[in-house]
Amino acid sequence: MAKYIGKRLLRSLLTLFIIITIVFSLLRLMPVEGYFQNFEKMSSTQIRVGLQQLGLTDPLPVQMAKFWKGVFQGDLGVSHKYRVGVSVLDIIGGKMPLSLSIGLCSLGIALLLGLPLGILMARSTRTRWKIGDRLGTVFVVVIQAVPAAVYYLLIQFYGGRLPGASMFFDAGRPATWLLPIFSLALGNIAYYAMWLRRYMVDESNKDYVKLARAKGVPTAEISRKHIFRNAFVPLVQFIPTSVILTLMGSLYVESLYSIPGMGGLLVTAIQTQDNTLVQALVLIYAAISILGLLVGDILMAILDPRITLGQKEGGR
Amino acid sequence: MPNKDAILSFEDLEIHFTLRGQILRAIRGVSLDVARGEALAIVGESGSGKSVFTKSAMGLLDANGSIAGGHIWYDGKDLAAYRTEKEWLTIRGKEIAMVMQDPMTSLNPLKTVGDQILEAVLLHQGLRGEAARQAVLEALAAVGIDDAPRRYRQYPHEFSGGMRQRVVIAIAVACRPKILICDEPTTALDVTIQAQILDLIKQLQKKLDLTTIYITHDLGVVANVADRIAVMYAGDIVEVGRCEEVFYDPKHPYTWALLSSLPQLGVKGQELYSIKGTPPNLFQEVKGDAFAPRNPRALNIDFVERPPFFEVSPTHKARTWLLDPRAPKVEPPELIRHLRQQGGSRHV
Repeated sequence: MAKYIGKRLLRSLLTLFIIITIVFSLLRLMPVEGYFQNFEKMSSTQIRVGLQQLGLTDPLPVQMAKFWKGVFQGDLGVSHKYRVGVSVLDIIGGKMPLSLSIGLCSLGIALLLGLPLGILMARSTRTRWKIGDRLGTVFVVVIQAVPAAVYYLLIQFYGGRLPGASMFFDAGRPATWLLPIFSLALGNIAYYAMWLRRYMVDESNKDYVKLARAKGVPTAEISRKHIFRNAFVPLVQFIPTSVILTLMGSLYVESLYSIPGMGGLLVTAIQTQDNTLVQALVLIYAAISILGLLVGDILMAILDPRITLGQKEGGR
Repeated sequence: MPNKDAILSFEDLEIHFTLRGQILRAIRGVSLDVARGEALAIVGESGSGKSVFTKSAMGLLDANGSIAGGHIWYDGKDLAAYRTEKEWLTIRGKEIAMVMQDPMTSLNPLKTVGDQILEAVLLHQGLRGEAARQAVLEALAAVGIDDAPRRYRQYPHEFSGGMRQRVVIAIAVACRPKILICDEPTTALDVTIQAQILDLIKQLQKKLDLTTIYITHDLGVVANVADRIAVMYAGDIVEVGRCEEVFYDPKHPYTWALLSSLPQLGVKGQELYSIKGTPPNLFQEVKGDAFAPRNPRALNIDFVERPPFFEVSPTHKARTWLLDPRAPKVEPPELIRHLRQQGGSRHV
């Protein structure tokens, strides 16, 4: 197991290195005005001196080496446009916790509601009229097919009129957290319900379920100990990614409710041409995406003994 | 009323399936007694209903299937009247256990082999903790799996096909059943392993005083293990008798045809016999003898009226008009007459 994790870790680091190198090189092609606050008023000499001070006239490999050195020392540079002179990590650190807490709450709700819904739908396929399955399918299809923007707006508009709720977010008033969290959860509820139902139906038609029935295991126990357990494994792979993605926040929900989270940061950074901030954000996003996949794969390997550890891992 | 000597007794059993609004009559009024301690083989081609027939005794019919008539007597109770899961749980595993066809898929891939046997032990042996664990280790040893403590913790994919079938048997036996149904237990295994698995089941039958019911289309398996044979065709038992009676003195034309198509009986250089035509459509009412349309020796009455059972000996009976005293004398095919002469002197 340790060998497998080690290998996957090395591979992830390699991927990260390649992504960062490419992004870093591409960002060097950006117009240099992104490094100065009052670019229009500067003379060409001032610009050259400024660039020299920032080390941007050095050859690319040297710049790269400096950047990596900074990364290992926990320094991703300072913002030049967004908030001048402030370390980008401070900017991000001020926003991330809020996005993370809203995201985790919504993910928790999505799992708490989505998984039971999936189980209910799967079990309902065995009943005569399949009412649970049909209703659940309607919900899943609506949520998947209607653009999120539409139901987000409806939730904000109608939900905002509920007593205690508000159309805008206020970190100090817990009631105002509900609508954005619920909005974010809806998509995931449908997603988890849909996949869990599908995997459970698949599993329940397998021979080992018939054998379990033949040996006298009650249906409810088969459903819990055999079918759900096995159907959950393929879903487990996605959960770490979902958790980590909450760090990025949701652009749309955060702007709807005026939440000062991570959601709009990358867009703003690109719009204002704050190159350092863009670079740092891309590094962080790439790292967390890769970490999500890595943790997902490791969880899978722990839960499914058939995943061969070591030699034959070309499968994924 | 149920037969006193039989451990399990099917009486005029009718099983129907509903498929796309149509009714398929999978089992058409079958009566069969299974004697305590015997090894009975139910043979027949694919789709003849042999699997459905035995599954009905465990309440394991698919959701669209149901017992439409008749009785299944077990221990004074009529299993055909069972409706709820609670009732069936008193039978499944506890009284009747099953070994299924494909050991590659009949074990849960994500549970250790030990845990899967443990599940049966906890349900049916009333043991807990270390005692239950010991029972699992004993079950593993009993089916010939060495190094049981290590094997306990392994997953099904770490076992070969034959070893997995041993595990499936261990699960069935760990339920402590009275009857063991083996649904094509060797079909998915290679030939060298087949004999070992059959020997194992035979040995366990003797040791644990089990009644075994084999479902198979492999007459080689039957010859090896069975005391008695029931031949099934199109949802009906057409001939039943002791092993040597059915092999050496078969009476029903379908049994003749089945035996004639045995590769072991074929003559080198000649084309192997095969039964012409296809089994009847069970969505429609079957009139007369279901095998008549495929039987070159069919009598006129075979197309009109279903034959009753005629007794050949106290243990041997067949459902064919050929045994009626009024019937013209029809000789079985030469191959079958040949078998009869060899009767007792040689095994098939």
